[in-house]
Amino acid sequence: MAVDPTSNANSSTPPAASAAKPPSVKDPKKSKKDEKKDEDLSEEDLALKEQLELYVERVQDSDPGVQKLALESMRQEIRTATSSMTSVPKPLKFLRPHYGTLKEYFGKMSESVLRKYLADILSVLAMTMSAEGERESLKYRLLGSEGDIGSWGHEYVRNLAGEISPEFSKRQQFEEASIDDLMDLVQQIVAFHMKHNAEPEAVDLLMEVEDLDLLVEHVDSTNYKRTCSYLTSSASYLAGPDDLLALDIAYGIYLKFEDLTNALRTGVALDNLQYIKHIYEISNDLLQKKQFSYILAQHGLVLELDDEMVADDDDRETLQDIINNVKLSEGYLALARDIEVMEPKSPEDIYKVHLIDGRASASASLDSARQNLAATFVNAFVNAGFGQDKLMTVTSESSGGANTGHWLFKNKEHGKASAAASLGMILLWDVDSGLAQIDKYLHSNDNHVVAGALLGVGIVNCNIKNDCDPAFALLIDFTEKEDPTLRIGAIMGLGIAYAGSHKEELKVRLSSILGDSKTPLEVLAFTAITLGLVYVGSCCEEIAQSIIFALMDRSEAELSDPLVRFLPLALGLLYLGKQESVEATSEVSKTFHEKIRNYCDVTLLSLAYAGTGNVLKIQKLLGYCAQHLEKGESHQGPAVLGIGLVAMAEELGLDMAIRSLEHLLQYGEQNIRRAVPLSLGLLCISNPKVNVMDTLSRLSHDSDGEVSMAAIVSLGLIGAGTNNARIAGMLRNLSSYYYKEAGHLFCVRIAQGLVHLGKGLLTLSPYHSDRFLLSPIKLSGLITVLHACLDMKATVLGKYHYMLYFLVLAMQPRMLMTVDENLKPLSVPVRVGQAVDVVGQAGRPKTITGFQTHSTPVLLAAGDRAELATEKYIPLTKVLEGFVIMKENPDYREEN
Amino acid sequence: MGQGQSGSLNKHGLPGDRNKDGEKKDKKFEPPPAPSRVGRKQRKQKGSEAAARLPVVTPLTKCKLRLLKMERIKDYLLMEEEFVSNQERLKPQEDKNEEDRSKVDDLRGSPMSVGSLEELIDENHAIVSSSVGPEYYVGILSFVDKDQLEPGCAILMHNKVLSVVGLLQDDVDPMVSVMKVEKAPLESYADIGGLDAQIQEIKEAVELPLTHPELYEDIGIKPPKGVILYGEPGTGKTLLAKAVANSTSATFLRVVGSELIQKYLGDGPKLVRELFRVADDLSPSIVFIDEIDAVGTKRYDAHSGGEREIQRTMLELLNQLDGFDSRGDVKVILATNRIESLDPALLRPGRIDRKIEFPLPDIKTRRRIFQIHTSRMTLADDVNLEEFVMTKDEFSGADIKAICTEAGLLALRERRMKVTHADFKKAKEKVMFKKKEGVPEGLYM
Repeated sequence: MAVDPTSNANSSTPPAASAAKPPSVKDPKKSKKDEKKDEDLSEEDLALKEQLELYVERVQDSDPGVQKLALESMRQEIRTATSSMTSVPKPLKFLRPHYGTLKEYFGKMSESVLRKYLADILSVLAMTMSAEGERESLKYRLLGSEGDIGSWGHEYVRNLAGEISPEFSKRQQFEEASIDDLMDLVQQIVAFHMKHNAEPEAVDLLMEVEDLDLLVEHVDSTNYKRTCSYLTSSASYLAGPDDLLALDIAYGIYLKFEDLTNALRTGVALDNLQYIKHIYEISNDLLQKKQFSYILAQHGLVLELDDEMVADDDDRETLQDIINNVKLSEGYLALARDIEVMEPKSPEDIYKVHLIDGRASASASLDSARQNLAATFVNAFVNAGFGQDKLMTVTSESSGGANTGHWLFKNKEHGKASAAASLGMILLWDVDSGLAQIDKYLHSNDNHVVAGALLGVGIVNCNIKNDCDPAFALLIDFTEKEDPTLRIGAIMGLGIAYAGSHKEELKVRLSSILGDSKTPLEVLAFTAITLGLVYVGSCCEEIAQSIIFALMDRSEAELSDPLVRFLPLALGLLYLGKQESVEATSEVSKTFHEKIRNYCDVTLLSLAYAGTGNVLKIQKLLGYCAQHLEKGESHQGPAVLGIGLVAMAEELGLDMAIRSLEHLLQYGEQNIRRAVPLSLGLLCISNPKVNVMDTLSRLSHDSDGEVSMAAIVSLGLIGAGTNNARIAGMLRNLSSYYYKEAGHLFCVRIAQGLVHLGKGLLTLSPYHSDRFLLSPIKLSGLITVLHACLDMKATVLGKYHYMLYFLVLAMQPRMLMTVDENLKPLSVPVRVGQAVDVVGQAGRPKTITGFQTHSTPVLLAAGDRAELATEKYIPLTKVLEGFVIMKENPDYREEN
Repeated sequence: MGQGQSGSLNKHGLPGDRNKDGEKKDKKFEPPPAPSRVGRKQRKQKGSEAAARLPVVTPLTKCKLRLLKMERIKDYLLMEEEFVSNQERLKPQEDKNEEDRSKVDDLRGSPMSVGSLEELIDENHAIVSSSVGPEYYVGILSFVDKDQLEPGCAILMHNKVLSVVGLLQDDVDPMVSVMKVEKAPLESYADIGGLDAQIQEIKEAVELPLTHPELYEDIGIKPPKGVILYGEPGTGKTLLAKAVANSTSATFLRVVGSELIQKYLGDGPKLVRELFRVADDLSPSIVFIDEIDAVGTKRYDAHSGGEREIQRTMLELLNQLDGFDSRGDVKVILATNRIESLDPALLRPGRIDRKIEFPLPDIKTRRRIFQIHTSRMTLADDVNLEEFVMTKDEFSGADIKAICTEAGLLALRERRMKVTHADFKKAKEKVMFKKKEGVPEGLYM
């Protein structure tokens, strides 16, 4: 609180004048001026002032009894004075002139109880008196009696806390100085703050004195949540290693209060498997463990439960099933049925040509192969996971054998691969029936179809782990085939199916492909990506080595191939979010051929610091973008993407990064401008912010074709799975605007498919749990697609359009599904509304605003938060997202 | 007409009347409008301005998290600065901008003519009328900020094809700009005798929410929106408002209630709207409406149009005080000496949260007021102010001032350099006589 002594309206006496007065005011021969001033005061004030002056005189008395009495009463006066917000309490004000006298006298006093009393009073007085930087309040506090700190009011405590931190840093400089006395005081202050709803201040103080551990003993069950939320949200702004420490403390506190689901989330945020295991071990509640498993499944964490974590075999199996996402398809379909969107949609339902006026509708004849390919993707994205559509499944079932794969054969060559793979997307997560339906294509004579089917098998198994490993069994043999198409299909399928699983066999089998110098470049690129995905964020040395060797091996001509960019990307994926661990590898990358060196360096940097919000790295990446390059250098694209990757960690950085990207647009050259829309798309993935939408809409009419294509795809990305009508409208207009340009039109169609992803039930956001946790697997899928989009002509618009299927890694139902204790869907009322940042706020502020009450299952948009609207059930986790188990509330009573 | 002028119009101009929807907060940061095809869609103020706005930092309490977040923003801004300055050094944009500007100028053509916009047809077309009379259906050029076009606004037109090439913003109503207090009044809190409680209340209600909003956030309450000062004439209501204006750094707008009554129908409410919009634009700000009883009297069945208009003005005032759109950092001070005649809706909590009474001064206060007014007078030694302080007559602050002035005048009349006790006595008689409009209490001695 800012108490400004000069703004005190009670007296016209300028405080400076009174401070400058000689301390001997009690002198009987008062100057005339003084007298006049006293007249300004009201009578009671005058009395008080005289009283206090008397005390001051008496304190200097020789009789300890008188001294004591005087001190006691002075203390009484100060404590009982009520202060208003705008002025200094009166006793303090009247004692100000005597501060010097008392100080002087204090110096003369011998050690005694009274001296301590006086020290206390001096300490309080020093709060308003001592000059900036002298820290006298603290000094006298340490000399004084160690009584209850709160008795002097919270203003005093805050003042002390403020003085402690400079004192602490001063003592740190001189090593020998002990800090024990300070720490005692800190203990007291923290205890006081904790008792008085001032958790942020307690945490701040402890951060200043670098002793957050103390926090654990001071929190209690009423304030631990606020403390932890403050800690966790501070963590994303603290520089390392303080951020990890803060999270660690939060974890400790959650453990102490047995808030295990939150502890688990913190453990996941720390990326500490030990913690996660520990939580499983200490929890006795099977239901709770199921909830843990749901959280881990949502995160995509691969965890093998052992008998220490779960003793019973059957239970373990159930839990492992949850972690392996086996029931995901079931839940998703239940949601779809509840919202009544099971009806399959055809691409025409998405294009809504009838809404476009004028020329557009007439132009469908252009480049029908590409049109069909686009329709394939739209169909796949829109009907993802529903198990039925109007192109792929219908024809094959209704018309039986003869006409099999009717739609499939409307596509040409590699188009057929994507078409076959789209079946996998439609049957996403439904392993059993998915494999059965794809199976027939595996025996086709057309290599493209087989390749597509192989990819489809991988897609069906995305994020799902099955005991019998069907994907591995089906695909692994094809990786050794002659035909590169088949190999790519199989390898990519493996990558999608086993992303993040660290599967040993894959490393063995695929590393040999990497090592073989005869492997065609395209196969090499896809193998590297697959390994990167499977070992995402593992820092696996061996794979890094083999990719590095592969890069060094290749000739200069091959290094200029656009597909080469995926090798550094794969290398980066291995270190995704691992920060410093990347350094050794990035040193090695400096020895690469100059064509790839910078690209590799930037990619490694941006991926290693992805989702950290590290400002220094952003600065570095901006530095890359600030250069003006000659032709041929391509590393600025990844640098721009990198800005998005690093900055997406927290909301502030995100907003600021969007600003920075505006500048890049303004000043950058074409290769930067091309990447800016993609970076915007990454920053706001599945989160259609209006300002970003406007920027992208502007860019989608850019004169540079690649910029506009990237902008169009990004429009799809920011609207992914939202059914956002505005974006849909923009895209419709774009489709008529670009009706003559096949490439653009293809992008528009893809974007339209993305906007209606899973008919609006899916999201691509890699963040979950209230934007607290970042799933590396989902992020890796996004990055791969975005890197591919950096050179659209060679990849998405060329024959590698199936790279778009990497998006499946990031797909996740954006639902809140409540289940009962037997994991059966349970409908409960919930309030869904815009999330409000309540960190560090006093009291119990509303966490959501503008809410509506629904009954589960419900969809959660970006920035939405749900809270339970009934007391009948108790959710097992505070963050209502994904699957949440509800327990009956034993204390609940039906209201009449 | 050169680019410079129209450019600056677009940049700094204040938006027109349409802004009653209160979405214009960030005009100040507006970069030059980007040429966009979808102008109408930017009506929601989410365009480039929103991109240039800094994100809001929560929590509002002073804590390390807030510091860290602020630092994060600062880091980013520093990086932007570094980047931009680097780029400017490497590849100055000025030439390019210059080129663009001259291109726009070419498109605008010269000379331009002024017309008014009658109706917007679609994104790129409008019906305009020129000063001569006839109306035309013309196109709107893409570089015109369509956000700010609205029917009735003044526009610049191409001299031949009459297409819309720019717009002239009607600035703030000159009536309102006069209300802004540019030069702080000289009266400070020190010039107020007594009224300690009133000063504290007004500080808590008006100044602190503007300077230390976090205090209120801490406790979890919304700060009061406004206060009303009431009491007998001459008790210092206006003086206190002046002191507030003197001490605050916020924009201070002052109006007298009677100013809000206008000649034409609808002008009064419009003025109120305009007043509050300006206050919002210039926030943090304090609006002081003196003699509010001019418009704020209780509603009754009005017979004349004039009365109805006054009531409508008050209704607009009610809406502005606590209506649908929330006013951010605008605090309102009302002053009246007839609080009992005001409409109860005006005084309900939420509109005016605090009612501060200004009583006639008591003895202590009277003494202080005498001291204040006599502090710069040369008094003879025989002056005993206590006599007047202790008198039983009812003095207001203004009366005391009048006595002091009167005493000074009497001394001047007799060409004395000092004011004597007798002067004061005479002055007091005189003032009291005038005040009571009746017989003097005693005879001259």
